[in-house]
Amino acid sequence: MVSVINTVDTSHDDMIHDAQMDYYGTQLATCSSDRSVKIFDVKNGGQILVADLRGHEGPVWQVAWAHPMYGNILASCSYDKKVIIWKEENGTWDKMYEYTGHESSVNSVCWGPYDFGLILACGSSDGAISLLTYSGDGQWDVKKISNAHTIGCNAVSWAPAVVPGSLIDQPLGQKPNLIKRFVSGGCDNLVKLWNSREEDGQWKEDQKLEAHSDWVRDVGWAPSIGLPTSTIASCSQDGRVFIWTCDDPSGNAWTAKLLHKFNDVVWHVSWSITGNILAVSGGDNKVTLWKESVDGQWACISDVNKGQGAVSAITEGQQNEQ
Amino acid sequence: MAARWSSENVVVEFRDSQATAMSVDCLGRHAVLSGRRFLYIVNLDTPSEAPRKIGRQSKWDVGTVQWNPHESGAYFFAASSNQRVDLYKWRDGAGEIHTSLQGHTRVISDLDWSWFDPELLVTSSVDTYIYIWDTRDTRKPTVALSAVAGASQVKWNKRNQYLLASSHDGDVRIWDKRKPSTAVEYVAAHLSKIHGLDWHPDNEFILATSSQDNSVRFWDYRQPRKYLNILSCQVPVWKARYTPFSSGLVTVMVPQLRRENSLLLWSALDLNAPVHAFVGHDDVVLEFQWRRQKEGSKDYQLVTWSRDQTLRIWRVDPQLQRLCVNDIAEGVEELMEGMTLLPESDKALHPQDSEPQHTSGHTTEDEEGEEVASSVTPASAGKQDQLGLPQTLQQEFSLVNLQIRNVNVEMDAVNRSCCVSAHCGSHQVRVVVKFPAQYPNNAAPSFQFVSPTTIPSSMKTRIQKILTDTSLQKVKRNQNCLEPCVRQLVSCLESCVTQEESSSGNHYVLSNSVNPTLPTFPRVTNTYGSYQDANIPFPRTSGARFCGAGCLVYFTRPITMHSSVSPTEPTPRSLSALSAYHSGVVTPMKMRSETQSALRLYSGSPTRSEKEQVSISSFYYKERKSRRWKGKREGTDTTNRQIKLAGKVIIQEISCLLPVHKTLGEMYILNVNDIQETCQRNAAAALVVGRRDLAKVWALAAAATGCELSPNADPDAGTPWARHPFGRHLLETLEYWGSPLLVKMCSSPRLAHYSKMHDIQTLAMLCSVFEAQCSPQDYYTLFGHLPYRSSIFTPHHSRFPSYTSSGSCSSTSDSGINIVGRDSEHTAPWGESSPDDFRYGNQGYTDPRERERDQHDKNKRLLDPANVLQFDDFKKCYGEILYRWGLREKRAEVLKFTSCPPEPHKGIEFGVYCCHCRSEVRGTQCAVCKRLTFQCAICHVAVRGSSNFCLSCGHGGHTSHMMEWFRTQEVCPTGCGCHCLLQSTF
Repeated sequence: MVSVINTVDTSHDDMIHDAQMDYYGTQLATCSSDRSVKIFDVKNGGQILVADLRGHEGPVWQVAWAHPMYGNILASCSYDKKVIIWKEENGTWDKMYEYTGHESSVNSVCWGPYDFGLILACGSSDGAISLLTYSGDGQWDVKKISNAHTIGCNAVSWAPAVVPGSLIDQPLGQKPNLIKRFVSGGCDNLVKLWNSREEDGQWKEDQKLEAHSDWVRDVGWAPSIGLPTSTIASCSQDGRVFIWTCDDPSGNAWTAKLLHKFNDVVWHVSWSITGNILAVSGGDNKVTLWKESVDGQWACISDVNKGQGAVSAITEGQQNEQ
Repeated sequence: MAARWSSENVVVEFRDSQATAMSVDCLGRHAVLSGRRFLYIVNLDTPSEAPRKIGRQSKWDVGTVQWNPHESGAYFFAASSNQRVDLYKWRDGAGEIHTSLQGHTRVISDLDWSWFDPELLVTSSVDTYIYIWDTRDTRKPTVALSAVAGASQVKWNKRNQYLLASSHDGDVRIWDKRKPSTAVEYVAAHLSKIHGLDWHPDNEFILATSSQDNSVRFWDYRQPRKYLNILSCQVPVWKARYTPFSSGLVTVMVPQLRRENSLLLWSALDLNAPVHAFVGHDDVVLEFQWRRQKEGSKDYQLVTWSRDQTLRIWRVDPQLQRLCVNDIAEGVEELMEGMTLLPESDKALHPQDSEPQHTSGHTTEDEEGEEVASSVTPASAGKQDQLGLPQTLQQEFSLVNLQIRNVNVEMDAVNRSCCVSAHCGSHQVRVVVKFPAQYPNNAAPSFQFVSPTTIPSSMKTRIQKILTDTSLQKVKRNQNCLEPCVRQLVSCLESCVTQEESSSGNHYVLSNSVNPTLPTFPRVTNTYGSYQDANIPFPRTSGARFCGAGCLVYFTRPITMHSSVSPTEPTPRSLSALSAYHSGVVTPMKMRSETQSALRLYSGSPTRSEKEQVSISSFYYKERKSRRWKGKREGTDTTNRQIKLAGKVIIQEISCLLPVHKTLGEMYILNVNDIQETCQRNAAAALVVGRRDLAKVWALAAAATGCELSPNADPDAGTPWARHPFGRHLLETLEYWGSPLLVKMCSSPRLAHYSKMHDIQTLAMLCSVFEAQCSPQDYYTLFGHLPYRSSIFTPHHSRFPSYTSSGSCSSTSDSGINIVGRDSEHTAPWGESSPDDFRYGNQGYTDPRERERDQHDKNKRLLDPANVLQFDDFKKCYGEILYRWGLREKRAEVLKFTSCPPEPHKGIEFGVYCCHCRSEVRGTQCAVCKRLTFQCAICHVAVRGSSNFCLSCGHGGHTSHMMEWFRTQEVCPTGCGCHCLLQSTF
């Protein structure tokens, strides 16, 4: 059954803007308007404050855990135009890198799939997207996409590392040629897809998805389970959540499906690990879970209300399948 | 100019009063609240004491209540009730109805005591008459004014004893009581109903009207055609009244739209933004009145009554009073100074780029308040004052955030133009932007290229079009457009230049390296949430995220935090919505709770430290109703109350919603040597977790793999898959799992009705099992004496085609044909081979084995790798999930079956360092010291070929020598004492 396994009192001095657990679900990172990032050990229902990371000079908007194969690494971005990458070494958290290349608030950070190494995408209100790649020895290589979104970029999310269109012939036994791809959303009401071919390492705008009538607040590329369909969720100030899918191996034909129109801004979407459930949250202070039914309709399967109750999930769907 | 939190207020709640009207007596001692059953007399000096009550029997609410404004009649008040006016006498703590005035035939809409004669009272009614009563003769009105239309408001002039104003829908009529037959003047003031009417306290000709049409207008009734001034709001205005001091104005907005901050103080001279908002009432402010100034006190007190059943008293100190006069004059002066300074002194000298910075820097330092207060606040949007238009442009100029690389903007507010210079690569662009007088109210600026613009004309046309589009888009909504236009210009220019030079390739380096010598000016520190944050999204205060392998982490705002705007209002889009908190229009909670006394003292702009306290939480704070005194000086307990601003983070286990099971992940096995057992054990595992469906699948998988043993004995059985009853069964079942992937791979809309279960676990496990079953060497161990039969179980056949054929067989036949058709078009090899083979093989071929062998050879050459990759993806994804669960061995088991195994670990690379000089070397000889780098510990010769060495002590040598040595020895041959065999694996 769905059950609350932990309730963490973060003791932040101001409102929380993001909370995220690491790869294994043992550590929780939170960030807040009080300019701090906190890390808690939440194993076995406990909550031990592991670190209180100070370094930002403004509200911290988002955190992101890197894949554990690179160590215990966390990125955070803030109103202070900075991106800080924190690393745990021998039990102590320290700044690993501080990126100050943006000219306005950095709103979103997202680590790329581990297949590409340590690579972080950062979206900022200066309209640019930065890609920070660890090149070893404490060096970070910076690529910047200027004017990715007019007015500002609000969210970035990486595509899973899968072979582009698995139907394309490829010699057996060779390492598939992966393409780095991510999606971004911005104040130009657009969702944009970007890719980088290995040859030159340059980022190019691949697609421009237009459906929202106001700022796009968040985008989420669904994890792949090996199917050749790519799925992206986007949400906006206009209260709409769209599910974008592309069956086309070349990745050009995207179709939008309206998940729901909410009454207030929707500012966060998150996919479950198998990509079949979407968690949606917004200005109405509610969290809803959505699942695609057999006939392709999206249905709300739960409602987390006001932080009070647990997810009272309807598990019928699951029952039926069994 | 920015107001500070000045009015610590008195809050008293009268929960059951249901009072609809309120009035404060002229001595400032009492307020009367008129409910349906009682009139409550509140002593304003001790408001928290229980009020005295006067009972009344009426089924009607009190429409209007008003104390007599003359000291001589201070104990009288009039209350209208339907068609009647009751005159109450309040003396010595007791009150009674003194007399009643009856004459109106419909409900009375308003009443007003004369400012000159304590006995005179005017009433207006829906019955179209306006009556003036002399309280000494209550039988009938002394004067009757016939208006033909019903009146909603009536007010005596405060300077001329004969004059009155009444409102009728959107019109105002001015009456002289000496000429009752007809109105003196008609003013067609508004398009919609007038809710409020107020004469200027000092000027007998001027009055203010507030209306449903979202505006307050100011009139000199001698010029009825043209209002003097207008205050545009976004919501209907319920009341607008002049303040008793200077030229202030207090407005109440129509509240169902604006629950909070509906009570605003304005300077009548500058209607761009309110100077103060009285924050606290949760509901409609029904009435507000000024209490008479206490002797010796410079403060004024505003008494308000709201539908939230609280009476509040707000202190308006002299500084706040002064704001209603001084601001505009000072502000404009300084702003003008700032503007005029620039073009003359700075332009020529400063390097480009620094100018706009300088401007904003200047104003930021000196006139923070000015800037911020003029921002659009969430509470009000007083704007577009006709007089204020030039300032709007000036303000835009002073506020515009043009920290854009390679751009310089020279602004000339006086001539309503500015000049934008930008350069990118070798190109230069100079555009003159001219702003029409109406800008930004649906009037777009013009753009003109001037020399030394170097771009080609095609590019000019393009940029011109983009600029026009951008500006139109903005001004259509009456928004400023300079900044977006400049940004567009730059991005356009960059993209054009990039295109042009795309052959040279490196666009990023290009755009970054343009003129690196440009001075990088110090950036003006933005104030959090200020105007400049208009492009930063409003922060998330709740969220949910799937984390780990089966957790949902979510956080929400604490329940005590409410949005400070009404629930019907959407959350603002941008962070600049917080700018209201800078201007003090809304006071952030922290300011309220922290340094109140200090704040009150500031008369100029708030200091930086204060501003830093502005936080997102300010937006969500909602004052609690409190009976308690928030006393002026002593009320510390309530104000220091700590409120939790951070909600809890909740972690929820949601793995039951996922199609994968951790328990199954743990229990599933993959034994390549005994597929039967694997399937059976997995079936059992599925049963344990209650997945009977999966158990069935595994049982069938077992049957399918196991049944292959039986044809062994039968040499004729060339088509066991198709013929065997289990085979078909299995396929049908597997189709259940395989279909989602078929849907995708065949892109057959006909199959789209199959559920997308996302059950990666089952998919990956089945793929692995079948792969294991088919891998030749295993096959040999299972069916060693029949090697040729392996041809049936090529990876191809058993993995993908079996699903396909089943999918097509079990669904309608046409879909099967459809698939085959499609497949044979696109991916001939398998489309041609297996499905046909499986379905028709036993009918069409005399020697199926032969054919299969052929097929197999063909397949060997033409294996469609796409499917294999797809199965690899399944396994990889499942491996990833196993990794999250911490089941690394299981993951390794699964990943063994990928056709393209994960890359070998690359994390450790043995660097060879010269043992003499410690420099890194390649080969056998050190390039630096020319000595041998790696000497065999046994033969002391440089090692070239195969070598082994101990990871612990670093000694080693030729593999053969080492092997020999360690066959008998355990310690290092060099005699270093290292137990190499224990320390590392040779």
